[in-house]
Amino acid sequence: MKHRTIIALATCLLLPAQLAPAQGQVELSVLQWSHFVPEHDPWFDAWAADWGAQNGAGVRVDHINFQQIPQALAGAIDAGEGHSLIQLLTPGAAWVEGLHPLNDVNAAAAATFGERVSTCATASYLPVVDTWYSFALGYLPGPGNYQQGLWAAAGLPQGPTTWQELYETGRTIYAEAGVPLGLGLSPEVDSQAAVYSALWSFGGSVQDESEQVVLNSPETVAAVRFLAQMQREAMSAEVFGWTPASNNLALIAGEVSYIINPVSAYRSLQKIDPEAAADIHFTPALAGPEGAYAGTNGVLAYVIPRYVEGRELELAKKFLLDHAGDYGDAVEHSELYSFPCYPATATQLDAWLDHDPFGSQPADKLAVLKGAGEWTAYVGHPGPANPAVAQFFAENHLVNMVARVALGEVTAEDAVAEAHARAEAIFDAWHAKGLVGGGEGR
Amino acid sequence: MNAIMSRWIDDSRLMGIVFLAPATLYIVLLVGLPFVTALLFSVSTATVGDASFNYVGLRNFANVWQTPAFRDALVNTFSFTVIAQICTIILANILAQLLTTPLPQRRSGRIGMWIARMLLILPWATPLSLSVVGWLWMFDSKYSPIDYIFRELALLGPGTVWGPANNLIWLGKPLLAKASIIFVHVWRMTPLATVILMAGLSSIPTDLLDQAEVDGSRYFRTLFQVKLPLIMPIMLISLLFGFIFTFGDLTVVYILTRGGPITHTLTLPMYSFLVGIDGGNLAQGAAVSLFIFPVLLLVAVVLLRTASRAEVR
Repeated sequence: MKHRTIIALATCLLLPAQLAPAQGQVELSVLQWSHFVPEHDPWFDAWAADWGAQNGAGVRVDHINFQQIPQALAGAIDAGEGHSLIQLLTPGAAWVEGLHPLNDVNAAAAATFGERVSTCATASYLPVVDTWYSFALGYLPGPGNYQQGLWAAAGLPQGPTTWQELYETGRTIYAEAGVPLGLGLSPEVDSQAAVYSALWSFGGSVQDESEQVVLNSPETVAAVRFLAQMQREAMSAEVFGWTPASNNLALIAGEVSYIINPVSAYRSLQKIDPEAAADIHFTPALAGPEGAYAGTNGVLAYVIPRYVEGRELELAKKFLLDHAGDYGDAVEHSELYSFPCYPATATQLDAWLDHDPFGSQPADKLAVLKGAGEWTAYVGHPGPANPAVAQFFAENHLVNMVARVALGEVTAEDAVAEAHARAEAIFDAWHAKGLVGGGEGR
Repeated sequence: MNAIMSRWIDDSRLMGIVFLAPATLYIVLLVGLPFVTALLFSVSTATVGDASFNYVGLRNFANVWQTPAFRDALVNTFSFTVIAQICTIILANILAQLLTTPLPQRRSGRIGMWIARMLLILPWATPLSLSVVGWLWMFDSKYSPIDYIFRELALLGPGTVWGPANNLIWLGKPLLAKASIIFVHVWRMTPLATVILMAGLSSIPTDLLDQAEVDGSRYFRTLFQVKLPLIMPIMLISLLFGFIFTFGDLTVVYILTRGGPITHTLTLPMYSFLVGIDGGNLAQGAAVSLFIFPVLLLVAVVLLRTASRAEVR
């Protein structure tokens, strides 16, 4: 017994010594959100450890819920210490003054990997200060996920291709089969992605390319009126109280006919009930009167806070470029959930989408995601995701204005005018800070 | 040396300073400094990326005041707090009365009372975030156990009073979402209030109660005219605790609704968090949070003065 105790104590004393970086070795710490496809994180942790061994650095990876990333980053910048690299999912331009410019990393990536998906640029570059404040490696396309059996019975086996079809046939399915559409109208990211998708497809937007607020437009009013009507006639009230997991759970339970979401819900269903998963099919962005856009459910962008210096900073930048170089593995281990910002880093993607290596039936059902970069847009579209856009997003105004009309609290015109006024105030504050452009017209 | 020590110890003024110093330091560091920082942020252009000080006067306060979401948050914060505290104090009084009744003579009865007291304190002892996640599941729009019970009681579902839907959708309907937030606050605060009131009830001299009984006072007359007036000061302290905890709470709303549906459950701490941290506008976030301060100060002063007067009487 005594020997065992001594061995246990010795192990406890020696183990930290083995795990800790060697004397003088730089330690890189990475904070990122827990991936929605659980298989991704063990792969990433192993990849990071291997990278550390090859580059003479200790690498520690911490995973937290994506909703806690903003406060973690704010705390780290304020304290002047913390992780070397922090991965964001939501817009990060508000932190730009506390971050290292990554113009060099983005330039090096462009030179090495070539063309970048425009959504990733929108999420990383702040034109008014000509700064790349983050390095985006991947993005999450948000296709439509639908139950083919229900939609085929309603006459659309290929699923809806337009917002009008979604509304009309979704309403029919709800009336006849009792299964509603599942587009959230709650203060959370998936709801926001769905509402932004409709807004852009109807020709509205929060700002224009020159970062002027243009929310109050006939197009926005039409989009809001349309979504509110669709909620009243083709959805249940539960969408007003959804969390980010709710649409996934509803699809898995077979209780909604259509959701807008990356493939994570489908991947979960494949593991739980392959037969039900075989009935889930996908649509690209739905077309509206002015185009077909789908708001991305997130961009996987890393930032390096200013407190990171010297060798740690050099290694952090190298880590990012090396990670980008191996991004094909990340796409594969995310089970085709994360898409590459630089298509050249995952050249196998189209082949995987044509023949899903994760057992889709039929094997090519994900092929509709080919070219997702062309119809995926990020908050701020058609302008950059500047800090004002990010604050407007964080305050959930777009979702709230639709929900208020759906619940009959205000007219679409009033809801849009009110949200526009708030957007103006937010934009003015950030413009005064010099982080939003549009000086001429403001 | 001993003489010096002895002189110091005998110096009541010095000893007063020494004994008060840790508490003062604690208040200055953990309350005073953050408060001053928030004040400075609120009149500046501070953001999460750059907290440097550029004075802009009261612009941030004016900015948030014009926001309908802010006004909703203000109203919700008040109404949630007041309703939750009224419910809490009524429930706590009932529970405290029950739990301070003389213990049953039988052993099993005493054990039962002991278990009841232990269970009572559990909601307060459980970490708030964990217990609220539990409530998030309880209020789930599809799989709510509460809805299941209602369905089993034939109160919910097709052909029932609350039907035909199978679920009440607690967090998706404005009124139910508000009620859910208030309910969790009451559930959370009742144990603390009960324990405080139990302490108050236990401290009532028994000869007063005996005298009331001899004078022919029945249960409710004793309760309302003897017990409650006597424990009024301690009840006001309990109310003050409850008010401060509920008014400044972020956890319950953050986990259950994040302020939704729309802004029907948005509170000042939640709105401050959305603007200041998620939205990155630290200055406006600080301005929102500072609206909490005068209210809490006023409530604290009023309740403490009332408690003090009640005690003197």
